[in-house]
Amino acid sequence: MSVALKRTFEDELTLNEVVALYPDIPRLVIIKTDVQRRGIHYTERALSVVEPDIHLVNDPKISELFGSRDGVKKPLPASLLLRDGTSILVSSTPLEENPYLVDLVDGRLALVDDGEFIEYVEFWRKPRFYDLKTSSGIPMRQIFSARPQRLSIVQSSYCHFWTNHKGCRFCDINNNNKKRNEDEKTQPRIKPQDISETIREALKEPGRFTGICLTGGSVLAGNGLFDKEVDLYIETLQAIGENFATKKFPSQLISSAFNQKQLERLYKETGLMSYTSDLEVLNEEKFNWICPGKADNVGYQEWKQRLIQSVDIFGKGHVATGIVGGVELAKPYGFISEDEALRSTLDEAESLAEKGVTTIFVVWTPRPGSDFHDQHNASLDYYVRLASGLHQLRVKYGLTVDFDDYRRCGNHPDSDLARLI
Amino acid sequence: MAIQLSSELKVLLNDRKVYKALATVDEAGIPDVVLKHSIFTAEDGRIHYLELLESSRTNHNLVRAIWFDGTVSIAVTGPDKQRFQIKGRPVEVHITGPLFEKHYVEVRQSLGDVELSGVWVIEPLEVIDENISFRRKEEDLNRPYFRHLDRLAKTPQK
Ligand code: SF4
Repeated sequence: MSVALKRTFEDELTLNEVVALYPDIPRLVIIKTDVQRRGIHYTERALSVVEPDIHLVNDPKISELFGSRDGVKKPLPASLLLRDGTSILVSSTPLEENPYLVDLVDGRLALVDDGEFIEYVEFWRKPRFYDLKTSSGIPMRQIFSARPQRLSIVQSSYCHFWTNHKGCRFCDINNNNKKRNEDEKTQPRIKPQDISETIREALKEPGRFTGICLTGGSVLAGNGLFDKEVDLYIETLQAIGENFATKKFPSQLISSAFNQKQLERLYKETGLMSYTSDLEVLNEEKFNWICPGKADNVGYQEWKQRLIQSVDIFGKGHVATGIVGGVELAKPYGFISEDEALRSTLDEAESLAEKGVTTIFVVWTPRPGSDFHDQHNASLDYYVRLASGLHQLRVKYGLTVDFDDYRRCGNHPDSDLARLI
Repeated sequence: MAIQLSSELKVLLNDRKVYKALATVDEAGIPDVVLKHSIFTAEDGRIHYLELLESSRTNHNLVRAIWFDGTVSIAVTGPDKQRFQIKGRPVEVHITGPLFEKHYVEVRQSLGDVELSGVWVIEPLEVIDENISFRRKEEDLNRPYFRHLDRLAKTPQK
């Protein structure tokens, strides 16, 4: 099949060149990073071995929080796993963007690039609760989604920052969830009992999960800013917590930047163990441009301050901020050079690490439903240096990131490296 | 290149009463040797090792080995003076999926409330028979200078 490529990567270092350039960074993590950067396309041969009874396959009727790179909702395998246990969260990408192929090599699933075998991969597996319904008749897979070792619940697929056209420019949440958000206006919210029942079922599969992640769009309603968002998370966490014998359970909340009172409520009233609030881009000027809703409602310095304050509540090694790696280079107001972007990002990450806040990144993948849909992400060399730099900061400041690592998340090349900490 | 283990060695590895030591190295090349019961062979001839602790030195060293093409050693000692050393390469780790979940259940049934971090798959590359009389004969044959002269002296007449 021949397609006119929109991106050839000819002016960039190749995968093998980057692997040779950074002998201290594992090849498998570099592969994961490049696959996330360039995306994938499943060949018909690869799709012929998908078994929907066994494998985790995207359900077109259920929106993921963010959309795929090709903007198409198809029942494709959710993501991939490498032989060292590294996950590759990646979505189907148009062929003209030059993605890796997932194909069959010697009868096994493999990543292939330009005819060259890269690595064998596996599809993720479906947990048993995916085929069950709660007592009120809701399919449990609509309540929690699964990764190889993690459960995730999306509290809200509507982000209020979008209401005034101030959503983050790399984000497609509201466009991707138009139908779901319309449905939610007419259907009641998921009840705590449905949440609790789903967790109960998930825990019946021994060894299947090691952590629970809660996230969603920002909710601006309530008496004070984010009060309603906090109330919703507390309700959900308490419903989850009913199933555990211990007060605290391995969990991560990725939410808006809450104030001290809100954070204390979350910590005291629930089993939550870690707190993440995403600054998205570690530079005030770029933040103001890229995340106008966050900038208007909280502001960069206050967002940072709230993260730092949360360390007093959740403890060192239990607080993180997420960034969208590469978006700081977006056009026209982003950094011009990768060196400058990297220096600035790591300096700012260090100022947070000194105070006990660790920084993790996702590889920016421009999506059709976002403002930045027609832009390119950064080079592989950049992402490898970013992963290495953030990892080194964790080593330097003695920060662990166990709640968001290769197993409890799987979406961050930098925290994949934390397996050695 | 991967090799096949002899059936004698497989029997030893799969015997829970047999001591096995797993040696790995850290970033600085410092060796770490631990006695392990949870080492056995799989049907495909590769060696499986159940790592119970995600934060253990052994696990860190195994992660380093799979990432940077490192090797490990397993020493096995049998009841009939058998002594083997297997050099191998960690090539996979199952942290999820059917093999992991099977062992997760089994290991908790046999050891109680323990964790399972992963099922490491080690490809055997070389087997050395470390039985001392075998090794001595081998050395006498191949390295005839490596011996003390008194061993060759005529036995004094009584
Ligand atoms: S806060 Fe920004 S990134 Fe998060 S959901 Fe809203 S628009 Fe998207």
